[in-house]
Amino acid sequence: MRKKHLALTEKKWFQILFWAVLVIAAWEIGATAVAMTKRTPENILPHLYQILAAAFSGKAVSGGMTASGVVLTSAGATLLRALGGFAIGAGLGFLLALAMKLSGLVEKLIFPYLMLIQLIPVLGLAPIILAITGDINRSRLVIAAILSFYPVAANTLAGFKAVSKDKYDLMFTYAAKKRQLYTKVLIPSAIPYLFTGLKIAAPMAITASILVDTLQGDGGLGCMLSQSLKHAMSIYVFWLIVFFSAFIGIFSTYLISWIEILVYPEKRSAAGIGRSAGKEKKYGRSTEKNRTQKEPGPETL
Amino acid sequence: MNAAEYTRNDVPDEIVIRDLGVTFQDNKGEDVQAITGVNLNIKKGEFVSLLGPSGCGKTTLLRCVADLQEPTDGDIHVEGMTPKEVRLQHKFGFVFQSPVLFDWRTVKKNVELPLEMMYQTKQQRSERADEMLEMVGLTNFANHFPNQLSGGMQQRVNIARALGIRPDILLMDEPFSALDEFTKEKLHEDLLRIWRKTNKTILFVTHNIQEAVFLSDRVCVLSPHPGRLSAVVDIDLPRPRTLDMKETPAFNQLVLKVRNSFEGGSFS
Repeated sequence: MRKKHLALTEKKWFQILFWAVLVIAAWEIGATAVAMTKRTPENILPHLYQILAAAFSGKAVSGGMTASGVVLTSAGATLLRALGGFAIGAGLGFLLALAMKLSGLVEKLIFPYLMLIQLIPVLGLAPIILAITGDINRSRLVIAAILSFYPVAANTLAGFKAVSKDKYDLMFTYAAKKRQLYTKVLIPSAIPYLFTGLKIAAPMAITASILVDTLQGDGGLGCMLSQSLKHAMSIYVFWLIVFFSAFIGIFSTYLISWIEILVYPEKRSAAGIGRSAGKEKKYGRSTEKNRTQKEPGPETL
Repeated sequence: MNAAEYTRNDVPDEIVIRDLGVTFQDNKGEDVQAITGVNLNIKKGEFVSLLGPSGCGKTTLLRCVADLQEPTDGDIHVEGMTPKEVRLQHKFGFVFQSPVLFDWRTVKKNVELPLEMMYQTKQQRSERADEMLEMVGLTNFANHFPNQLSGGMQQRVNIARALGIRPDILLMDEPFSALDEFTKEKLHEDLLRIWRKTNKTILFVTHNIQEAVFLSDRVCVLSPHPGRLSAVVDIDLPRPRTLDMKETPAFNQLVLKVRNSFEGGSFS
């Protein structure tokens, strides 16, 4: 009996269901409690069914668009810039990690100060960046790029450094050229680390893009957030945007995991079907754990 | 026996080590002699073990032959060339203690890796890798990934990869020390079979006396502090060797002889 319970908690769908029920229950208790105080506007924490009803209602809330229409159109602009900034930041982060690996001088000059980027309140600088670039779309790009840059650079560099001495020795005995060492050993070894960085960076780029929206009324998700809070629209739209943003943030991380499985054959074999799939999955999970333990944890810096 | 003597005297030296010494500097900047005054000639096609406790410099000696370590004294010649020249010509294969496989490459692609450095065509690489995997008995695992294999199988891939480049010499650094006894014995037999078939010169580092005696033509005993060659024991057991030879008095006498040749008595 006990064994049966344990087996149930191992199931992914059960875990998801457990948390979903818990969150919905807590939310509804909160919503009822807020409604009972009667001191705040009653729908500041609306019931979930009210939010759902708003999502599917055909009633126009702003400029002739329905609530869902508002969310989706404003999400387009925000996400596109977030994606652009993320791509630029991640690309530069990877190249900088490569430069630091190639040159000890570059590493010594840059790496100790790289984490300062994380300490600068980049979002606080958003108004200045907006003033400099003069364009909300360009500032979304720049800020998303700055925030994506560090986790990718630091994790990729950690990946290069995690290559064991044996592998260098082996390539040396093959009389490998430096270019071959990079293309055949160092870069493939760093790919799982690069993806760890990308998984951290993607939701950050989206959050950054949303926050930059709030600066200017140009119709991004963040812009709609502040407008809906000011009761230009209903509170339901506000919560719709919050849920939608949370969803795309989580989704972005999953999306990157899927891409990783596509590009990294080891992961593909671990996720593959077949007799040994279960065993391999377990193995994969434990190496993942080892990997995160071995890492100096640059993302926490 | 006589035939073995005949070949040994007739065949030229493959590896010649003269007055070899390696001095490291420790953390305090003091000199530490890893090995000193080693003289050794190894014949073509010979199986020679370097045996000793940790700290005796046996791995350092092997790494000097592989050009992974620069000697501070003396010199090494392999087929009349320096270790660097030999390395650049891909004349030796190095088998590390850990399998050093690349986990994003399949078993077959791992075996193909050194051939890529030699600019062989895709077809050449594929054929050679298939041949090598067949030799180590892993044909059915060609498309597996290293983390799907056991430790013994991974080490077979490592050996297949080292042999793939058709080296004259195989340098092996405690290749079986991390394996369990059963796997180790199986791999000993396989290694001897491959050695007989390919006629490579093998320089084999180990700290296991039985392993050294069972595999080798000659066992070079090294002693620590400073690392030096303290004895060379000829192993005149007949070939091909079988596992039941380990039970014979001749085998045990040789083990005892090797054990007693450590300076300062027994192997601790």
